[in-house]
Amino acid sequence: MKISDLKDTAVTSGYKMLNLMAITKMGIKHGPFDLIRDIRRYPWLLDLAKVNRLVTKLSRSRRGNYRKAVGMVLHGIVKEMVHQIEGIFHRQEKLVLHEDMVPPEILRAMGLSPWMPEMLGILLPMIVPNVMEEYIDAAENEGIPADVCSLPKTVIGLTVKDRLPYAKAVVTSNLPCDGGMSSYIYVEKQLKAPVFRLDIPHHFKDERAEVYFSGELKRMIAWLEEHTTGRMDWNLLQEICEERNRMMDYELQLWEMIAARPAPLAADAVYLSHLWFYNVCSGLKSSTEVFRRLVMLAEENLKNGVAAVPDEKYRALLWNPPTMHVIDLFAIAEKRYGVTCIMDSMSFNRLPFIDTSSRESMLQGIGRYIMNGPMARHTRGPMENYFDDIFYIIKRFGIDMLWMAGHIGCKNTQALNNIMREKCRAEGIPVLIIDYDLADPRITSREGIFLQVDHFMENVMKAERRFL
Amino acid sequence: MIQKYYGGCDIGSTTGKAVIIENTGIILGSSIVHREIDPEVTAALALEQALKNIPEINSIKDLAYLVGTGYGRSEISFASENISEISCHAMGAFFCDRSIKTIVDIGGQDVKGISINDDGTVKEFAMNDKCAAGTGRFFEAMARIFRMDLADFSDLSLNARDLIPVTAQCSVFAETEVISLLAGKNPPESIAAGVQNAVAKRCFMLLKRVGIIPKVTITGGCAKNRGLIKALEKALQEKIAPLSVDPQIIGALGAALYAKKRESR
Repeated sequence: MKISDLKDTAVTSGYKMLNLMAITKMGIKHGPFDLIRDIRRYPWLLDLAKVNRLVTKLSRSRRGNYRKAVGMVLHGIVKEMVHQIEGIFHRQEKLVLHEDMVPPEILRAMGLSPWMPEMLGILLPMIVPNVMEEYIDAAENEGIPADVCSLPKTVIGLTVKDRLPYAKAVVTSNLPCDGGMSSYIYVEKQLKAPVFRLDIPHHFKDERAEVYFSGELKRMIAWLEEHTTGRMDWNLLQEICEERNRMMDYELQLWEMIAARPAPLAADAVYLSHLWFYNVCSGLKSSTEVFRRLVMLAEENLKNGVAAVPDEKYRALLWNPPTMHVIDLFAIAEKRYGVTCIMDSMSFNRLPFIDTSSRESMLQGIGRYIMNGPMARHTRGPMENYFDDIFYIIKRFGIDMLWMAGHIGCKNTQALNNIMREKCRAEGIPVLIIDYDLADPRITSREGIFLQVDHFMENVMKAERRFL
Repeated sequence: MIQKYYGGCDIGSTTGKAVIIENTGIILGSSIVHREIDPEVTAALALEQALKNIPEINSIKDLAYLVGTGYGRSEISFASENISEISCHAMGAFFCDRSIKTIVDIGGQDVKGISINDDGTVKEFAMNDKCAAGTGRFFEAMARIFRMDLADFSDLSLNARDLIPVTAQCSVFAETEVISLLAGKNPPESIAAGVQNAVAKRCFMLLKRVGIIPKVTITGGCAKNRGLIKALEKALQEKIAPLSVDPQIIGALGAALYAKKRESR
């Protein structure tokens, strides 16, 4: 065994140890009786506790700084998840459920404890691939059609099985799809908590929409002040927005660096960090710190001429949310074919920093991020909202091919697949559309997903597979 | 010049096919055998039969290079290499007619749409591999309901004066629908035309995904289904280009052509 291999093993073991310590500390703090009671109430806690399986899955084929980056991002996720679970245990009077398109910055500035129900449908299949099946089945048994997106179905399933925390209030919106909206009717019924629905305008790219939507946010703040103990602290909101801007500054530096060929960092280190730290805990110092260290690791790799994927052959753009139950898709594709995921649709945006000079400018800045959320802007309005981003990313990051995670439950993006094929064909960009379901491996198994990848790489890219 | 021989072996879900070619690409022998449980046994049987009438070759060992393809390709331990059937069908069809740009390959358990580059390699492909509708298995089931053999069923729709649509997308539901239509004393040839039309529409949708550029051809066992070809031509509004070689062995032919290429690398 080489010294570098020993170092890599030590890095992963270190992060695993830190994860275990964070989880154990939370358990001890909660006390054995309360912990047993809550594990019975929330059995998914046990699945979350298996997070080190995810660390193994995503680390084993990575080396050096790339492995460090993956371990660090996952540890950051674990730390925040522990904090969120402590919110259920100890801060229930401040708990507010919020839908995934509603960022939590305002809730935090009001001294509330945000909890995003979709978080479980995203995180759990990464750790235990088939864990959401029982919730999806429960939702379908309630009469939800089989072809509705499985993510809102997991929320419905968790709700009807009484496995969501009780909250003082719920904030949701009319985004990103009908399935998402319908899931909160179940949440409302089951939790019997007051629900506020943000009205996000369909035409969201003009000033009129921004003014209208900041009005919606003000209405939400007033509503939360009426229904919860939360009170708006505008100074705290300013701090949160400034911290978010700092995080974004680091992310932009990271994107500059990964545009280099070969990229110094890639795949989960880039997209999981955005997916989690922007949607769950943006505006926290700890989130900014993750991005600062990612920049540091990327910089070091660039300086030393070290590539994340040692023989980077194909640069991929991942479109749609990542394949949750096969989250190591790129870890394996890197090894098998030299495929490197450079950028993804959930991370990329071209929005300005939030202007923190006034209350109005902050609300408009936050509102812009909600209205232009990745799935929101890509599935509403003209098709240019979708394709402009694709071809801009392809050009900016020197992308060789597009991998579309063709989640069958997403009718919005499925409807664009043929146009996407035609447009990419015209531009000479090879496209792989992976037929699968976001949270349900029964639709397409892990083997089925890799079969599609192998067929594409062998037949279209003429790639030689490195090992069988 | 030393004469060398190359083999291609396509192990599908229903049959095993083998093709032996010489240096110039001329086909010396070919075979189609029923699939055994073990893909390797099927491959050995297919090759044995293909070699039977070639006196210059005594056994598989005399082949300079052998490429395995198809569903069971990775199980053929005596093959020099295995290559995806998508690439092999493209290469085989291209060898028969260099102006072929689009292929629909209907096998026993899947349907593929393939568009090909100017050198016979794959440009794009799309496949329907999760559902039996529109595959060879589907036609076998339909023939059974009509109490005919596959060849008779294939020709049945050719005499249809009109078409009774079969709307079910699933093979199992389609069976139920066809049984009901037959029980309703509807003309069998019109129902058969409806079946062929339903499959042709599925193929059309698949081909749309890869882009339909003439010439279009059909490969695989179902390429012998004349009723389907008629329905497909109607759906595509395009003549299906016939191939000079049995369309069922095109995958094996492509594999043999790749064997020749790879050996000379």
